[in-house]
Amino acid sequence: MARHKERMTEALWAYAFIAPTALGLGLFYLWPVLQTAYFSFTEWGAFGGHEWSGVDNYVRLASDPELGRALLNTFTYTALGLLSIPLAIVFAALLNRRMRGVGVYRTIFFLPYVTMPVAVAMVWRWLYNGDYGLINYLLSLVGVDGPNWIADPGTALYALVVIGIWSSIGYNMIILLAGMQSIPAEYYEAAALDGAGPVRQFLRITVPLLSPTAFFVSVISVIGSLQLFDLVFVIAGSGASARANPAFPRLQTVVQLFYDRAFVTNDRGYAAAIVMLLLLIIVVLTAVQFRLQRRWVHYA
Amino acid sequence: MPRRWLLHTVLIAASLVMVVPFVWQILTSLKTLSDATSVPPSLLPQGQWANYGRVFELLPFGTQFLNTALMALARTLGQVLFCSMAAYAFARLRFPFKKALFGVILSVLMVPPQLFIIPQYQIMSDLGWLNSLQALIVPGLFSAFGVFLLRQFFLSLPVELEEAARLDGAGPLRIYWSIVLPLARPGLVALAVLTLLWSWNDLFWPLVVNNDPGKMTLSAGLASLQGQFQTDYPVLMAGSLLASLPVIAVFVFLQRQFIQGIAQTGLKG
Amino acid sequence: MTGCSGSNDDKAADPNEKVTLTYGVWDQNQKTAMQELAAAFTRTHPAITVDVQLTPWEGYWTKLKAAVTGGAAPDVFWMNGPNFQLYASNKVIAPNPEQVDSSVYPKALVDLYTFEGKQYGLPKDMDTVGVWYNKKLFDAKKVAYPKDGWTWADFQNAAAGLTDAKAGVYGTAAELTSFQEYQYNTIAQAGGYVISPDGKKSGYDDPKTIQGLKFWTDLLDKKQSPDLKTMTDTVPLQLFESGKIAMYWGGSWDVPEFTQNEYTKDKVDVAPLPKGEKQATIIHGVSNEVGARSKHPRQAWEFVKYLGSKEAAEILGRTGPIPAYDGTQQAWVSKYPGLKLQTFIDEVNYAVPFPVSKNTAAWNEAELTHLTKAWNGQQPVSQASAELAAAMNDLLAKE
Repeated sequence: MARHKERMTEALWAYAFIAPTALGLGLFYLWPVLQTAYFSFTEWGAFGGHEWSGVDNYVRLASDPELGRALLNTFTYTALGLLSIPLAIVFAALLNRRMRGVGVYRTIFFLPYVTMPVAVAMVWRWLYNGDYGLINYLLSLVGVDGPNWIADPGTALYALVVIGIWSSIGYNMIILLAGMQSIPAEYYEAAALDGAGPVRQFLRITVPLLSPTAFFVSVISVIGSLQLFDLVFVIAGSGASARANPAFPRLQTVVQLFYDRAFVTNDRGYAAAIVMLLLLIIVVLTAVQFRLQRRWVHYA
Repeated sequence: MPRRWLLHTVLIAASLVMVVPFVWQILTSLKTLSDATSVPPSLLPQGQWANYGRVFELLPFGTQFLNTALMALARTLGQVLFCSMAAYAFARLRFPFKKALFGVILSVLMVPPQLFIIPQYQIMSDLGWLNSLQALIVPGLFSAFGVFLLRQFFLSLPVELEEAARLDGAGPLRIYWSIVLPLARPGLVALAVLTLLWSWNDLFWPLVVNNDPGKMTLSAGLASLQGQFQTDYPVLMAGSLLASLPVIAVFVFLQRQFIQGIAQTGLKG
Repeated sequence: MTGCSGSNDDKAADPNEKVTLTYGVWDQNQKTAMQELAAAFTRTHPAITVDVQLTPWEGYWTKLKAAVTGGAAPDVFWMNGPNFQLYASNKVIAPNPEQVDSSVYPKALVDLYTFEGKQYGLPKDMDTVGVWYNKKLFDAKKVAYPKDGWTWADFQNAAAGLTDAKAGVYGTAAELTSFQEYQYNTIAQAGGYVISPDGKKSGYDDPKTIQGLKFWTDLLDKKQSPDLKTMTDTVPLQLFESGKIAMYWGGSWDVPEFTQNEYTKDKVDVAPLPKGEKQATIIHGVSNEVGARSKHPRQAWEFVKYLGSKEAAEILGRTGPIPAYDGTQQAWVSKYPGLKLQTFIDEVNYAVPFPVSKNTAAWNEAELTHLTKAWNGQQPVSQASAELAAAMNDLLAKE
């Protein structure tokens, strides 16, 4: 009897502890997901109010050339953004040792990650300026006439990828460094006794034992890249006038198109359908990554 | 020895790539527009401090700074409190539907945040909260990520102290408050630091709910500075430096905590 | 302020009822003038006070839309051309309850705020477009300053003479994003049109309209304007303000910008737009409208009538934009004797209305999507314009 009462009290306490989070998440997160799903089947009027429109929005998704381009841009950005991981592994390995200045290097690499993305995008927009930017000035010193990086359809998306890698490499490096430091030192000692040099040790021990961490980083990186918004919002803008940038079709991302439809043209039903598609893509790609990991991730 | 030189050469070259954008930002922020757009560029500025004054003319910078700080602090306090409470229950207490409830919370973690935005905006609009501080703060007081992170952390703590306290007759509230929280300090700091960072830099939600410059955060205010008609780069560089400086300063100050926080979430994820 | 509508009706009959009207505006620079107007109105209408509510331009329409949707719109608020028909057709602004003499305002503005034969609100101010030019660059190249009555050919010659590729200076900038200052003017000057008077058909497949667009793409082809990519990286306004562009098409609203900017303040003046097949400038202006769900429609209308009066126009002209009321513009013109601001007033004689329809925003997006290809040289202007006409006709059919 006493035990039963004790259990009751414990459960009541537990619910009390959970209550704020449960209410907050329920009202502001769970209920909205259901509503968004519902909104994706509605059409909105100019001054609010929405009515059921069946699968119209989804039919429109399939035939919207802007969405097609946004998907392609987003996937390309996501795929190229993964290049940040091998780079981060190399730098993590270089910094995974006792030497002077390790802390300084680590801070410098990490700095872009803590800098406000809006500010980062502005600085890079200026660096990329075709006529007055630092990058083209440096190129001109070696006789190269650089393009208008973010206004040229041929370079704009890659220019964006460079910013993405620049700002995420420190974050990836820190996680990978922590992963490296948890690899037991004996492995390296044994390998050294067998006469393996640093490069061999890196390839035979570090890389395989680091693969679970690398896998985690790649999952996070893909999910983040698929939601790219801040950089594009500053570099390409939104609304009608953003379309005056000839590279706009190569810059627009899925989430930016969502913002445009939801909050610029107030086409919220269609915007809801766009994010439902995004959810589907994220779920599928994450599932694919988990399947593929069996081929390359070694759990010790 | 030559190998060490090679190593430092590679690292210094990479560091330059990381740092040069910041240096160029600072130099440009002190030039006039004509100077900044001269070809070839003048490398050294002439101390055009007026650009910083322009930022304050174009934006209610002080107000936006305050809005951003209040939002970031309130969200951080809220998340540390609410998430640690829930995390403690999930890590230590026994109650019906525990697994199911935790699963529901995890599912929120999997959903991209854009899925919440339209209905959240509707809720704010219905409450008459558009263009208010509470719109910036309230939805951000709760976090599935925070619950998950702290639960993992609590699970890694030894239970002996808690059991001893329980035998002494301490209830869950006492145990949570005077034993678990002090022990979990590194985990709480990690969550606090990350929440602070993400809130300060957040753009989408503040951009959507508050379009009145007096109610905007710095990131949204800064983004609004740069329109189709405004590419006065020296002023933009001054503004972007001012807006990002506070977090950079906190980072330099609390470096260890930042990096540990990131590393922890990474490893335990 | 009572929440109960039943008692409101009774009170409406009482002419001395104390009422506070809300007045929504978007321009920080005009806030003081608006408060002055509100105070002047209260002196003659002691029972009515007006609370001026400023929402800056960036958030004005979003906030107004949300407020209208939630039934909390201001009693009286500023309206612009592109948004007007959307608000009128959704019945969220009220048509005027009585006929007033509208011959004191430019006809193009009265027409702009007429929907299905009914007039909505009264014009507040007006703006026209002129050629702002950098005298220093003209002097350097010994090119004569523009004269009244100059033509497209004169403009093109000046642009050619002023362009100096080595110095990175261009004669002008064929800006794409601001149709009000650029394309709409040359389209009208070429004798073309953007939208048919009944608002049902696009004019972008009309050969004369295409002529008006070609005016700009020719300048781009001859490199007398920075190319579109350059203008994306650094917008023409900043290029003009750093001496890289000699002639900048801009509005009467640019006066504060160019008189305060360090670089331009002692180097620029303004000339009328050059004449094509005919003389033309786009005229636009803000109007004051009464919200359809205002709890005090009678008082709100009284206030709008006052704002449209000669007295109000004179107060406005001392500080703000050009008042719309005929004959009250002198105060505005004489504020900057160093600039030929009379230009903007003289242009009203041949001004053409700002093209709008019920859902202007939808085809504004299409204009940019399609014409970007012509400006960037991916498509000949005739093709881009024809595709735009087709897209725009589809959108108009859906209105």
